[in-house]
Amino acid sequence: MKHQLKVEVKNQSVAVERFLRVVRHRGFSLLQLQLEAVDEKYFVNMTVDSDRPIHLLTLQLAKLIDVYQVELLELQHQQAI
Amino acid sequence: MFLDCKFLVSIFLSTGLGLRMTGAELLIELLAKHGVKDVFGYPGGAIMPIYDALYGAPVKHYLTRHEQAAGFSAIGYTRSTGKLGVCFATSGPGATNLVTAIADAMMDSIPLLAITGQVPTAAIGSDAFQEVDVLGVSLAITKHSYLVERAEDLAEILQEAIHVATSGRPGPVLVDIPKDIQLAQVNFKPWLAAEDYQPTVDLNEVAKANVLLQKAKMPVAYVGGGVHAADAQDKLMAFLNETSMPAVSTLKALGSVVPEYEYDLGMLGMHGGQAANFAVQECDLLICIGARFDDRVTGNLSKFASNAKIIHLDIDAAEVGKRKPVEASLIADLHDSLPLLTHPETDSAWLQHVKEMMVKHAWRYDYPGEKVFAPYLLNKLSRTMPSNGVVCCDVGQHQMWVAQHMKFNSPRNHLSSGGAGTMGFGLPAAIGVQVARPDDFVITVSGDGSIMMNIQELATIRRNNLPVKILVIDNQRLGMVRQWQQMFFEERYSETILSDNPDFVALAAVFGIKGQTITKASEVDDAVQALVDSKGPYILHACIDEQENVWPLVPPGAANDQMVTKVKK
Repeated sequence: MKHQLKVEVKNQSVAVERFLRVVRHRGFSLLQLQLEAVDEKYFVNMTVDSDRPIHLLTLQLAKLIDVYQVELLELQHQQAI
Repeated sequence: MFLDCKFLVSIFLSTGLGLRMTGAELLIELLAKHGVKDVFGYPGGAIMPIYDALYGAPVKHYLTRHEQAAGFSAIGYTRSTGKLGVCFATSGPGATNLVTAIADAMMDSIPLLAITGQVPTAAIGSDAFQEVDVLGVSLAITKHSYLVERAEDLAEILQEAIHVATSGRPGPVLVDIPKDIQLAQVNFKPWLAAEDYQPTVDLNEVAKANVLLQKAKMPVAYVGGGVHAADAQDKLMAFLNETSMPAVSTLKALGSVVPEYEYDLGMLGMHGGQAANFAVQECDLLICIGARFDDRVTGNLSKFASNAKIIHLDIDAAEVGKRKPVEASLIADLHDSLPLLTHPETDSAWLQHVKEMMVKHAWRYDYPGEKVFAPYLLNKLSRTMPSNGVVCCDVGQHQMWVAQHMKFNSPRNHLSSGGAGTMGFGLPAAIGVQVARPDDFVITVSGDGSIMMNIQELATIRRNNLPVKILVIDNQRLGMVRQWQQMFFEERYSETILSDNPDFVALAAVFGIKGQTITKASEVDDAVQALVDSKGPYILHACIDEQENVWPLVPPGAANDQMVTKVKK
């Protein structure tokens, strides 16, 4: 199922690489990605798809040192984070 | 290890850190000021300025004979003491040789600081000699990693790296430092951490957990490596002693529940004890304390503790509900969460039942054959060696026999590569332990397969006159793989027969290490005593039957109460 996430990340190229690696490794495929650098942050909007519950991704992303915030914008099926 | 401003200012004023120095000198000064006395590594072109700064410095460097071993020695150092482990390697192959050790630290949540030299900043991206994108390589195997791009950032990055490695759920952190930045003149700059995120326990969850505890008739505590990481053995034992709750341990937790505890059921899981696995399968409440429902623990997940409600205590929110839904979760440092659980007395009928299972399924050492029986040998070693001795395992059958048949009074005294299961871990880890704890008895228990993975470290033992003991349990096989080939691959022994092993005692003798070989059960007691009594390094080479297997075993896909105890014909 598809989910839309908004992620605030440190403005460093490796930070984006790091969280995208986590998206893939935790079993989510990337459908859309939009990224904007504003001062010291990247604001990332992305849509991911997986059979796995979304909390398995959001909690892994949230604990990355470079990730400031993870927000689940859209929940197609009822699942708790 | 949280650095407060006062501490940083005192560093700044009381040391040379206020002065300009090279980046390499700043690294060594910072390590010294953080109490790092020993580091492990291997020099090379892109890290030469750091090795130059080490020359005559108060930080002692131990030269290993492979960078992977430097990583494992640093892991042994930190796991056996709680101090930060540090390893150095040069760029390119030096750094990639560290990868396995860093990955091992990641899987087992070990605070490791890996410093790698990198080609000069201007050469990065040009495919320079010994250039590898180490930052890119590091992404999947570190808690966090840095490439220092500006000399003025070095001091802050190093301080943040130490903080990240040691705080929260610990883990390995890599700092890749280009050679020009090692040589650049830099100033010390205090790193002022943002307010540290400390998860606070949700009191509603505490209330839910305590209701579950009150209602439970058949509870079991499932103890994991988080107890060691949090250094919370005292809190765990306070909870267990108050409740008399039966306790099972993961491989990494062994030693957290003290051997005298009446309801210590030992290890659970694929090669866990029968009483431990039956108790978990029967329990109506499972209190997971710093563990993560690893597949080697649970067997068939849907059938694992299927009658139980679950309370999960962990500092990492991402572990809660990752593999198993829970009824209550306390996400916090175990020092904070464990004391919040109430202490209802455990039902006496359940305790009686657990006791009966412990007696019924107790390990037996009355092996009828004349050959060396590894479980007896290891149990004898456990009873003979000093109580504060340290065992560093390799990976395979011997590792499981150690977990089953040896007792430890602290998780700092049993070091085993848990999550990664890395062969070659034991010998360099033991070297790191012996450096950290020079007065303690330190032994690596290895197999004839694993010992060859980092055999070059005999040179490190010799170079530093370390009294590390070595026990090689030799079945002339890659025993665990052979066991699976016997049980699940129709006895097709593909590439697991090691009948061409070297003479291990003769090999050790080349490095000035004494020892002996035994082949009979009747030789075991005297040989173990000779090993324990030896003053310097010593190798005991114990030859066992090549068909010996580790029992019990939960077959892949089976539930933990479907343990197998012999090969089916």
